[in-house]
Amino acid sequence: MNDYLIPVLLIVLAPIIGGLVYGFERVVKARMQRRIGPPLLQPFYDFLKLADKRKMIVHSAHAFLGIMHFVSLWFALGVLLLGGDLILVIFLHLLSTALIILAGYSTRSVFSHLGANRTAISVLAYEPVLIIIAVSIFMITGTFETGAVYLWDEPLLYKMPLAFVALLLILPIKLKKSPFDVAEAHQEVTGGVELEFSGLFYEAVYTAKWLDYVFCYTLVFLFAGSNILLGIGLIVFTFFYLNALDNSSARVNYKQMLRFSLGVAFSLAFINLLINILS
Amino acid sequence: MFPYIASLFILPLVVSGLLLLLPKTAARVLVIASSVALSILSLYLFLNVDEPFYFGLPHYVNEIVAGADILLLLYFGWVAFRKKSLLVGVMSVLQLGGLLYLLKTMPAAESMQFMVDKLSTFMFLLINVISGVIAIYSLKYIDEEECSSFRKKYFLSILFWFIAVMNLIVSSDNLEYFFLFFELTTLASFLFIGFRKDKESVNNALTALWMNQIGGLAILAAIFFIHYNGFGEGTFTNLLANTGATGILLPLALLSVAALIKGAQMPFSKWLLGAMVAPTPVSALLHSSTMVKIAPFIILRLSPALRDTPVATVIIALTGFVFIAAAIGALSQDNFKRILAHSTIALLALMIMMGAVGTPVTIVAALALIMFHGISKCMLFLNAGILERVFHLKQSSDMDRLGEIGPFTSLVITIGFMSLLLPPFGAFIGKWMSIETLGAMTADKKILGALVMVAVACGGAVLSLLYFKVMGLMIARTGESDKLKFEKTGPIFSGTIYVLIGLIILSIIGLPWLVTEYFAPVAATSLNVNEIPVLTEGWNIYIGPIKLPLVPLLIAFFLLPVTIITAMFVRFKNVDRAKEYMCGEKVNYTFSSFYFSTDKATPYFYAAGVLFFISLIIVALI
Repeated sequence: MNDYLIPVLLIVLAPIIGGLVYGFERVVKARMQRRIGPPLLQPFYDFLKLADKRKMIVHSAHAFLGIMHFVSLWFALGVLLLGGDLILVIFLHLLSTALIILAGYSTRSVFSHLGANRTAISVLAYEPVLIIIAVSIFMITGTFETGAVYLWDEPLLYKMPLAFVALLLILPIKLKKSPFDVAEAHQEVTGGVELEFSGLFYEAVYTAKWLDYVFCYTLVFLFAGSNILLGIGLIVFTFFYLNALDNSSARVNYKQMLRFSLGVAFSLAFINLLINILS
Repeated sequence: MFPYIASLFILPLVVSGLLLLLPKTAARVLVIASSVALSILSLYLFLNVDEPFYFGLPHYVNEIVAGADILLLLYFGWVAFRKKSLLVGVMSVLQLGGLLYLLKTMPAAESMQFMVDKLSTFMFLLINVISGVIAIYSLKYIDEEECSSFRKKYFLSILFWFIAVMNLIVSSDNLEYFFLFFELTTLASFLFIGFRKDKESVNNALTALWMNQIGGLAILAAIFFIHYNGFGEGTFTNLLANTGATGILLPLALLSVAALIKGAQMPFSKWLLGAMVAPTPVSALLHSSTMVKIAPFIILRLSPALRDTPVATVIIALTGFVFIAAAIGALSQDNFKRILAHSTIALLALMIMMGAVGTPVTIVAALALIMFHGISKCMLFLNAGILERVFHLKQSSDMDRLGEIGPFTSLVITIGFMSLLLPPFGAFIGKWMSIETLGAMTADKKILGALVMVAVACGGAVLSLLYFKVMGLMIARTGESDKLKFEKTGPIFSGTIYVLIGLIILSIIGLPWLVTEYFAPVAATSLNVNEIPVLTEGWNIYIGPIKLPLVPLLIAFFLLPVTIITAMFVRFKNVDRAKEYMCGEKVNYTFSSFYFSTDKATPYFYAAGVLFFISLIIVALI
């Protein structure tokens, strides 16, 4: 029973953890810019404020898809934390992203459409890399079950450092951080797919982003195997790396992003896979 | 058993002849009645054929077949002369030369010419049920075609004749017979593609002709080499009996080439893409139940002999490549039917690959994919026809109002695309298979296995992106009206669609049963083993050593389709409406789906395809 205690707690608390990560991120980013920044709990204050707003939607299907994006992402995260099949997790994550893309396409809003297109391209940029990383993990552990990976004695990082670098390179795409934040670029597409959501319905899309933090950092944690200290170290490192990168880089366009991701990150992950096969 | 099988051959032929003569109303009744009869016959055969059933025809039939071959090739030659097509001419002359040489040198065939086993009856079921639905649908579609009333009859007549030829090809054991039927399917597709008689149709029909003739030539060469290398008669049984012998690889490779061409694998994908100019039921027919399905059929027939040979390795590499390349090619398409065609090529690559790997699990997966793809693709193409006829839409970018003017059609198309993507259909079977591929590879082939896995994974990602792009158009609507009123498309159009939707839903619900009772026995026949152990234990299905988790599959299945379908019906009450944010602009934007200009890569894809085909022959020679 104890085996399930921590994962279930993590799953139930995932939105809160993600919100805290986001709050802390805003503090850290502000400090990097020598600002004071908002309080740690600012995301939750925003959350409460949004709940109080007048309910407005473009049409029901659009609003409903936004909510289901949140639900399916939570489900994908649940499967990941409970030790499900990694390929299935990636597939489920793709489905949840698909729902938000479909929501974007379902309105007749220019920015929503552009955002959906860009999100689709982002998926194309990171999805193959994730799958290769999953295959590399399979090559080492002989299983796709993440449950076995959490218990793996030797940290995977030592055997697949290049794959870890590849993961670091695609995480900004997934989390929409500069330089790869074309999908929601506020100055260009005013938030992309999020634009047409408001009030209570925006809440779902907003908190789904928090879930994505938990999802991504869990992927990072996988590289540590059963070594929890190393896992926490990796997460902390990734956190500071992401924020430093976000603060210090300018946005590239989607073509550059795609070229970089499929050219550099994909190659790194693939070389790593070949090494894993040959050794 | 023989009368039932024979009636599967003769009934469609008779119907085909009668359709040319009968008046319209009688033809209607005949088409519907014979489609139902053929479906029942094939179901009966599927349930009752257990052991391979051989039967032969008197020897003078061999002479008739040879005569028919020659006549057919002369006809092709005449087509080449009349349309001034050099390629068709060269191919016809080569084929005719090869055929005459074979007829002169080969001893008279002794063994039975036909063999019906579970794999054949599986194909019967697919061919007759799906083609029957398409035939009924064509009644209405072709009725609205602008052509003379004789040509309308002629269209239905070729359709039934095509069904007869397909039934024959999947039950022939003798390769000379197989060659004739192979060429006859080529002829059928040539007549179908050229049906509209405009310049584009004629050109594309000629392309289809010469490309498929290369396949025919490969079969002739295979017959020659079987004889030349001392294996005796050219029959499938004989080929499989000599598995592993030296010199058997070349005929296998040649037959695989014929299969890959029929299956429109690159660089021969052009003929299938060109087939889009024909009336839509033709596309439905070519893509779902006939023609291209010959490709996985041949590979499945040969899979025990192909397994673990260098030829299989090249086929796996080729199809892995085609899977990705076709998916990428699809991203730049706007024409709805072309999007469907590219995805057919990609999924065919997957089926052929699974057949070539040839382990129990992959064969089961290949069969499942053949059947499910047949149903889904047929439904999507029939909907493409409805879009043309009822809504006058051909380009997917014009379809962004479909959700409002034709909610039922848009819902059905969405279901069709989802069924191509979700378990038990597309993406997941790919994953399941690639694990098995990897497990089956010996250490020195692990790199190939990894490449295949990467190809399947990436191709799957690209394909799902493509499907979501189209689904996005289907779901689009304005916020102006909340009313949802299903449109009426007439009894024949909606009736056929209902049947296919019913089949899709049934096959999803009945998946565990289908795998154990339906696919596994067929796979066992195809592999020449007694039984493939399939266990349903709790929430998992075990096929041999592979576990297929049912629960996550079911949840994944419910999450997306149920969400999207509910999204069409759900209405939030007590919520204010807002107009879309335009950033102060007053320009009217047109909304179209985004597409990626991947056309530049196409020549490279073709070049790579040619290299693969050359290496296929070279490895067989070494």
